[in-house]
Amino acid sequence: MYTTRNDLMSGSKGPKAVVLLDKVSTVYEGERFPAIRDVSLCINAGDFVCVIGPNGSGKTTLLETVNGILRNTSGNVRVFGLDVTESGHSVRTRTGYVIQNFEIDPLSPFLCKNVVMSGRVGKIGLLRFPSERDWAIVDESMRLVGMDSSADRPIGKLSGGEFQKILLARAIAQEPEMFLLDEPFANLDLKSRADVDRLISDLNRKGATTVMVSHDIDSIPFSCSHIIVMNRGRVAAFGPRDELLQNGVISSLMKVRGSAV
Amino acid sequence: MISLPFALLVTATLGSILAGLSCSIAGVFVVRLNIASIGFCMSHAAFAGAAFGLLIEVDPLLTAMLFASVTALLLAPVANRAKLNTDVVIGIMFSLMIALAFVFLNLSPGEAASGAALRILWGSIFAVSEYDVLYLALLCAMMVSFVTLFYKEIFALMFNQKLAKAAGVNTYVFMLIVVFLTGLAVSFSLKLIGGLLVYALIINPTSTAYQFFWDFRKIMVFSPVIGVASCIAGFIFSLETDFPIGASIVIVSAILLAISIAISPKRRTAKIAAQAA
Repeated sequence: MYTTRNDLMSGSKGPKAVVLLDKVSTVYEGERFPAIRDVSLCINAGDFVCVIGPNGSGKTTLLETVNGILRNTSGNVRVFGLDVTESGHSVRTRTGYVIQNFEIDPLSPFLCKNVVMSGRVGKIGLLRFPSERDWAIVDESMRLVGMDSSADRPIGKLSGGEFQKILLARAIAQEPEMFLLDEPFANLDLKSRADVDRLISDLNRKGATTVMVSHDIDSIPFSCSHIIVMNRGRVAAFGPRDELLQNGVISSLMKVRGSAV
Repeated sequence: MISLPFALLVTATLGSILAGLSCSIAGVFVVRLNIASIGFCMSHAAFAGAAFGLLIEVDPLLTAMLFASVTALLLAPVANRAKLNTDVVIGIMFSLMIALAFVFLNLSPGEAASGAALRILWGSIFAVSEYDVLYLALLCAMMVSFVTLFYKEIFALMFNQKLAKAAGVNTYVFMLIVVFLTGLAVSFSLKLIGGLLVYALIINPTSTAYQFFWDFRKIMVFSPVIGVASCIAGFIFSLETDFPIGASIVIVSAILLAISIAISPKRRTAKIAAQAA
């Protein structure tokens, strides 16, 4: 098993470190126990990291602590060299976040193209209006996820998989330096899953650091470089993908082999 | 039909148009953000505040604004922290505010104060002054400017608050502005529409617009159009029938909403889709 802090912190605080967590705990308001506890890890620029673990292990909390949507209760979170507590806004404009699929009212008055454009809000900035270039980026993002023909469709009329693709297009349109993807394969059929897998891997190859949450070992993309295993709010293991998958670390930690963990 | 002096007619007409505009813009926020309970409580808090103003002999508009704004700013965090259901919050706050209003009115000296309080309760054309119209005009200018200048941030916020924050929108500040503007719209419309009814003018026009449009931009445009139309029609209805203006406006807006639900193309499409499935 990898001792997360020692293995990861030693020699990794170089200029390439994009995410640096040092003894970070996050407690939800009104809760007594932290959702993540004493998490220390380092993710370098260009890494493709998969976070896996059972339900309630703190995977989503970890993502939302990284981009500052949730404020950490203790420890330090530095992203792009910035303290997230102080510079959360700057961090979030440079980070594309795909939220876990949520329910949307079928009669919601939101067109797909406008939802995708809403990903660029922080990038465009206050008191500025979307330019032709912004709309071109939105069109391209929708084309990448195969939803270019759905620009004028209401978001409430999409299937779960189509909605998931629009959320991904929204994050791509942000042109982020880092993607935080929470269960991006949820609701996707096999073909769409393979397409999205390829797209995420392509974006990572082009330089975008990627942190992806999944509850399923089988959904870990081949291009994933590292795996973080979360268990009861702690990092149970963190290391190169092949090593963790080959030496049985994950299955011994999760007590389940080759299936949902 | 009631005949009014020309100056009063102009004041009341302008007041109706501006109240319809401000309340229905606020309605887009309230309906979409699912903070109907906050809007509902705010309108009754404004009524209690106005009654308190009469008691301490301060301009009821100021105390109405104060009560509405403080309630709005306290309600969400308190409900969140206490982990109360919104229905429970409505029940507690509605009854508390009405109780406070009745206590303040009971303590208010003289019949004049009681008359003024009753006008605040159900609204009156005669209660609207040139200053009220001016305040409403300034508020409408603020709201239209806010929506125009920050449309993309408002859109992101209305779609999903967490995603808006993740994209770099300062959701806390925008939510504060939205709640504050809603509080002002309620307070400024109180004398005309009435404390018990102003909430309907916030909800009904937006809910009517929702029955027809898939594009949020169109909701943002047509909700105020429907709000203003409801107010003008309600005003004429009030003059014709001698009904209180607030009640007339709310009845007209409710009829429009009922008709729109019956003929909504969005619902018809949904029904066909459901049958096909």
